[in-house]
Amino acid sequence: MSWRVVVRPALAICALGLALLVPSCATTGAAGEGDRNLPTTGVGPFRKLAVDEVPGIAPFVLDDRTALYREPAVLAPEGGGDGALLYAVGRREGADVIIRTRSDDGRSFFGTSGDFGKTPPVVLAATLPWEGSSLSGPFVLRVNAEVLLFYAAEGGIGLARSTDGGLVFRKEPAPVLTRDPASPWESTEVRAPSVYLLPDGRLRMLYASGAAIGEAESADGARFQRVDPDPSTPAVEPVLQPAPPAEPGSLLPNERGPFDTARVDDPCAVTRVTPAGRFHVRVLYTGIDATGASAIGFAARYGDAGPLVRNAAPVYSVGAREAAPALLEVPGGSYLYVQQNRRIDERLTYTAIAAAFAPGTVKLPTPLPFPDSP
Amino acid sequence: MARAATHLGPAVAAALTALVVLLEPGAARANPPDTYGFASRETAMGNAASADSRGFAAGYYNPANLVLSKGLEIGVGYFRADHHFTMNGRDNGVDPVKGLNGGIVAPGRLFGIPFAFGLVVHLPDDRISRVRALRQEQPRWELYDNRNQRLYLAANLAIQPFPWLQIGGGLSFMSSTRGSLDISGSANVLQPDDSQLRHEVDADLTAIRYPQAGARVALSERIAVAAVYRGEFQLGLDLGAHLAGDISGLTTARYDLQTHSVNNFLPQQVVLGGSWLLTRDVRASFDATWINWSAYVAPVAQLDVLLDIPPPAGGWPATITPPQTPAPTRIAPLRMHDRFVPHVGAEWRALGTRKLDGFVRAGYEWAKSPIEAQTGLTNYVDRDRHTFSVGLGVTARGLARELPAAVSLDVHAAISELLDDTTRKTSAADFVGDYTARGRIVNLGLVLTVAFDGWGGKKEEQP
Repeated sequence: MSWRVVVRPALAICALGLALLVPSCATTGAAGEGDRNLPTTGVGPFRKLAVDEVPGIAPFVLDDRTALYREPAVLAPEGGGDGALLYAVGRREGADVIIRTRSDDGRSFFGTSGDFGKTPPVVLAATLPWEGSSLSGPFVLRVNAEVLLFYAAEGGIGLARSTDGGLVFRKEPAPVLTRDPASPWESTEVRAPSVYLLPDGRLRMLYASGAAIGEAESADGARFQRVDPDPSTPAVEPVLQPAPPAEPGSLLPNERGPFDTARVDDPCAVTRVTPAGRFHVRVLYTGIDATGASAIGFAARYGDAGPLVRNAAPVYSVGAREAAPALLEVPGGSYLYVQQNRRIDERLTYTAIAAAFAPGTVKLPTPLPFPDSP
Repeated sequence: MARAATHLGPAVAAALTALVVLLEPGAARANPPDTYGFASRETAMGNAASADSRGFAAGYYNPANLVLSKGLEIGVGYFRADHHFTMNGRDNGVDPVKGLNGGIVAPGRLFGIPFAFGLVVHLPDDRISRVRALRQEQPRWELYDNRNQRLYLAANLAIQPFPWLQIGGGLSFMSSTRGSLDISGSANVLQPDDSQLRHEVDADLTAIRYPQAGARVALSERIAVAAVYRGEFQLGLDLGAHLAGDISGLTTARYDLQTHSVNNFLPQQVVLGGSWLLTRDVRASFDATWINWSAYVAPVAQLDVLLDIPPPAGGWPATITPPQTPAPTRIAPLRMHDRFVPHVGAEWRALGTRKLDGFVRAGYEWAKSPIEAQTGLTNYVDRDRHTFSVGLGVTARGLARELPAAVSLDVHAAISELLDDTTRKTSAADFVGDYTARGRIVNLGLVLTVAFDGWGGKKEEQP
C-alpha cells in the first residue's frame, strides 16, 4: 500500500512535466496566416488572369480577330451567382454594334474564339438618325425589373431598356445627354456613359468628353442634367481631369510620373456603403499619358457631390493599350474586364477583351465549360 | 557554510552554462512575454509582478527578484494564446502564439552576499522565428501578427546586498538576419526544364543583446516597491539577391536587389510597481509600465534594385514585354505614442495547511493602442486592449521521500478584448478603404515548478 502513496505523486509530476514538454517538440511550422479576409475597396490592384484560369489564351476571355470585341460592360446574373453577362462593342458588317455574351464563371464566355462555331448575338445596332452608323461605350445597369443599356453614338448618349433580362432592348427615341457647346472642356461629343444609383433612387451618369469626365443626373433616365462638382464657380467643371505632370525633381529613381496626364476616359462607376457608413462612389477609368500609353486608374469620392480624387497608382497596367474598364464584384474578389491589344506576331495585333482579378493573391479555380447559349 | 557551499555548486554550474549561452550567437530570440505575460502565476495577476514575481518568472518581470528564491527552482510550463482578430467582421487568421515557458533559478552566496542566477526561455512550438516583409499598405495586426512569433531567452544575475534591497540585471538576446541569394546560369524560356541554373543561399544570424535591470526595495514586512528597465532593440533584416545569366541565348540578364528592414522592434520600457501584503492571506500588486513606442521603426523594407536586360539583336519578340526596374518605395512614417500601461493583480491564499497551499488569483491590465489612427496610406491595425485574467495555484510540500521539494502547479486564463473601432480613410481613392476592426485573445497556460529548498522547509512570506 505504501508504494502507492509515495510513488504516485512523483509519477504524476513526471507525467505532467512530460506532457508539458511534448507539445513543444515541433520546431517547424507553417508559413502562417494573418492576411485572411483583409479589407479592400474591391477595385484592385488587379492581376491579369493566368494561363490555367481561362479557357483560351490568357488573359483574354472574349476575342475574335474580325469582330474586334472591345469596350466591355458587365452585369451580374439576376439573383446573384458566379456568372456574368457581358456586353461589348463588336464589328459586324463594317459597323460597330453591341453584342451580348454570357459566362457561368466570369471567364468562359460564349462565342469567344475558342468556343468554335458560336457567335455572340447583336443586341443593339445603330438604327436611329441621331446615332449615325456605329455604337460604342455600352453600360448596363439593372434597375428594378428593367435592364438599362446606355450607349454612345454619333449624336450623344442613348438609352435602351430591356424587360426580358437583357436580351431584347427598346431604345429611347432621343439621346439622353448631348454635348454642351458652351462647356469649355466638352470639346467632343459625350461618350462612354456609366450610370449608378443614388440611395434615393436618382440616376447619376459619368460620361467622357474631350479629355475629362463629367457627371449628370436624372430621375428616370430619360433626360440627364449636368451636375456641378463645384457650385462656387459659374462653370460646370468635370469631376475628373487629367493629372498634372510630376514636378521636376519630385520623382525617385525609376519612379514613373502620373499615368493619366493627357486624358481620362471610359469611366466605370460602382457604389457601395463603407463599413463606416459612408456612401462611396468608386470609378475605374482609362488614363492616358503624353506618350499615348494607357493604364486603368481608380478615382472615388464619399457622398454624392464634389470632384473625384484619384489614386496615384494605376490598378491595372500591362502596356497593351488597356482601356474601357468594367467591374464585376463576386464573392471573394472582383473581376476587371478591359479591352487590350492581343499581339499575335509582328504583323497582327488586334483588340480583344481581357480579364484580371483582385485580390491578386487569390488563385481562381479551373474555368468552367463554355455555356450553351448567350 | 555547508549550506552556502551546497548552493554554490549548482549556481556556479548554471552561471557557466549561461556564459556559454552568452557567447553563442544562435537562433532568433524575442519577447512574447511583453504581450502575453510569462508564467501562470504572474499572468493571472495581470502581469503586475515587478515587486512580486517568483522563481524563474522573475527573469522576465524583475531580475532582482531572483535572489528571493531560497533554493534551486526549476519550472516548466506551456501556454497558448489564440487570436480572434477581425476586420469588417471577418476573421484575419492571425496565428496563435504558443509554446514552452520555462526557466531555472540557482541561488547561492558569494562572499557572504546572497546571489542568484536565472535563465528563462520561451520556446515556441511552431517556429523559432518568423520574418515577414509586407507592403506598407497591407492591413496587418502590427503588434500581434508577427512580432511575437519568436523565441525569447534571458539570462540574469541578482544580489541582495541588504535584506531590504535586491538588485538584478542581465541580457536578453535577439539575432538580426543577413542573407544573400545568388542565381546564375542559363534560363530557357521556351523549355524551362532545359534551364541550367545554380543558386547559392548564404544566411547569417548575428546576435543582438539588449539589457534589462531591476531593483526591489522592501519598505516593510508587507510592502515592497520595484523598478525595472528593459532596453530597446531593433532586429534588422538585410537580404540581397543577385541573378545573372543568359535567357535562351537571346540576351543576358542581371538583377541585383538589396533590401533592408527592421523586422522587429522592441521599445525600451520602464516599470514601476509595488506589492502589498494586505492580510496574512491576501496580496495586492500594481505595476505601471512606460513603453517608448514613439521610437518604433516600421517594418517596411527599403529596396535598392538594379535590372539590366539589354534587348536582343533584332529587338524583343512580339510576345515578350521586357520588365522594367521597379521604383523604390516611398515609406510613409508610422507615428506611435509613448504609453503607460497599468497592471493590477491580487492573490488570495484560500487554503493553507502544513503540506498544502491553495491560491486564487486575478488581474487586469489596460493597454491603450500606441498607433495613430490609420487614415492614410498605411494600415498598421491595432486597438485599445483590456485584459482580464484569473488563475489558480497549488503548492504541495513533502509529497514523497524521494522528492524533497515543494511542487507548485499554477494555471491561468486571460481574455483580452481589443475594442471595436472604425478606421476612416481620408482619401476616398484608398485601395483598402474604411474598415472596422476588433479582436479577442484567449490565453491559457500552466506551469509546474519544483523548488528543492526554501519552500519545502518552511513557509516564508515575502513582503
